[in-house]
Amino acid sequence: MSLAPKTEARVGAILAASAKWLAVAGGMVLVALALMTVASVLGRAMIFAGLGPISGDYELVEMGVAIAVFSFLPWCQLQRGHVTVDVLADRFPVRLKLFLALVGNIALAAAAVLIAWRLGAGMEEKLPWRWAGGFAFEKNWAVEETYELGLPFWIGYALALIGAALFALTALYTVWRSVNEMAAGAERA
Amino acid sequence: MDGVTLSLLGFALMLVLIFLRMPIGVALFLTGAVGTWIVLGRVTPVTAQLKSLTYDAFSSYSLSIVPLFLLMGQFATRSGMSERLFRAAADWLGHMKGGVAMASVGACAGFGAVCGSSLATASTMGQVALPEMRKYGYSGRLATGVLAAGGTLGILIPPSVILVIYAILTEQNIAKMFAAALIPGLLAALGYILAVAVYARISPEDAVALPRKPIAARIRALGGVWPVVLIFGLVMWGIAGDSNWFKAGQQALFTPTEGAAVGAVLTGLYGLWTGGLNRESFVECVLSTATTTAMIFFIILGAQMFNAFLALTQTPQALAEWVGGQGFAPLTVLALMLLLYLIFGCVMDSLSMILLTIPIFFPIIESLDFGLSTEETAIWFGVIALIVVEVGLITPPVGMNLFIIHSMAKDIPVTETYRGVAPFVLTDLIRVVILIAFPAITLWLVRLMF
Repeated sequence: MSLAPKTEARVGAILAASAKWLAVAGGMVLVALALMTVASVLGRAMIFAGLGPISGDYELVEMGVAIAVFSFLPWCQLQRGHVTVDVLADRFPVRLKLFLALVGNIALAAAAVLIAWRLGAGMEEKLPWRWAGGFAFEKNWAVEETYELGLPFWIGYALALIGAALFALTALYTVWRSVNEMAAGAERA
Repeated sequence: MDGVTLSLLGFALMLVLIFLRMPIGVALFLTGAVGTWIVLGRVTPVTAQLKSLTYDAFSSYSLSIVPLFLLMGQFATRSGMSERLFRAAADWLGHMKGGVAMASVGACAGFGAVCGSSLATASTMGQVALPEMRKYGYSGRLATGVLAAGGTLGILIPPSVILVIYAILTEQNIAKMFAAALIPGLLAALGYILAVAVYARISPEDAVALPRKPIAARIRALGGVWPVVLIFGLVMWGIAGDSNWFKAGQQALFTPTEGAAVGAVLTGLYGLWTGGLNRESFVECVLSTATTTAMIFFIILGAQMFNAFLALTQTPQALAEWVGGQGFAPLTVLALMLLLYLIFGCVMDSLSMILLTIPIFFPIIESLDFGLSTEETAIWFGVIALIVVEVGLITPPVGMNLFIIHSMAKDIPVTETYRGVAPFVLTDLIRVVILIAFPAITLWLVRLMF
């Protein structure tokens, strides 16, 4: 029995477009990190000419790569990019194989929701303000910052959360997709 | 229930889930999380740990080398380097019996010097070399077999994504690991070329010789490979060489991650220059990098969760102590581990195998005496383990390289490819035995440079 296949296709198209856009944005972050690193290496090699490395380059790489990886996750899930061992499943009947894919996607969705939820909680602790009930907020005196540039960690967490949230959504969507593929009796390309 | 029993149960459950088609990263992540919960008896430590665990796992400076090398490999596949490498190799080797197949091996080795992944090397070189070999009447068996095997050179010859992950897991120096992998990688290429030569003697109709090219044309073809030589040379020398010309003490020009960034930027610039890289293909590069990066990092995250659970139960130490107490010969233990890699390599991908087994195997290897220093043992074992897990890429039923080449030549039955790759697997096994018998082959360059 298929579950609203037309709506699923529409939701799938929207998610695919957003995931692709986010992955490309993450890729741009990666390219920017590479360029910055090269500039930093060149600067350090030319200390004699009064230049120097970019300060905080390691911190920027660490923060940037986390944001990039999180923004790659939804695209990978939509493209069925996660490795599975199919050697046994290929010997099963198609329906059973599709059912196992559904179970795998449910488990992945559970992990993705868990990751996004906890990452959000982790970000909340790092925000400069804390909700103190009603409309009251109090200052968080223990904001964690990076060592050299003093960048607050919550910025990295917040940007990573975009990817983590979309990852949870796409993972839930792939469960839906799996249900419909099982109804149709074939995996879509 | 004691910790060791619990971890064995967890391990068994995780393997069952993986064989029931659950994504490997998810199976590791969930069994690890549930296992930790059971060991600690409460769920709050797990959820508290998860607030920062994923972000910390992904924001690692040393791991950032992985997406950078992947991006470099993607740029390389679209910059036209593969055609030029193959052209040059074919001009020099084509007149020998099996020469075009030998040229494919040479080009794969050259491409492996700018690409850290087997699958990317196999697919890129396959697109270039497969049509050529078919054009000259090479049999499908030899053509697909040599390319599937040649693809593994992508990961044996540095840079290599799996070697980076091994180095991070075991806290070894990435530059030394790369230096150690270079000579075994070149030996692999040599072994494959010899295998082609023997093959061409046994069945000459499978592999004809082309007319000899004039020397001037050959030298001109060499001009096409300078970017590969330059980029590989700069990246490797920058990571491992000594640039501290004025003072005593070795000083590298940049860290491995910085080297990967330099390589990615240079390869990208070269792609822009040849015109292979435009807006459209740039987006394709980024999206392929995104898929592979996400896949790798998700498995790394799962493995961290699972290994944290194993560490809580203290299983790795218990196992290492037990093996140490049995008085097995070190080489027997090593042989058993490699046999396990060969068996599991038939059904699992190499990265997952390394991430799963190294936390358990490495303490055991460290506790055994192979007549080498601790660091040398770690480097030597890493290179041998890498070769053995890579054999899994070209052995049926789940050899990813075989599938990639097969998808490019659907008219050649996959069983022909299985047969064609057999001689190359044989040279792999011979090489492993040689490297185990003579650790100095692997360690020579490391000892020379550091």
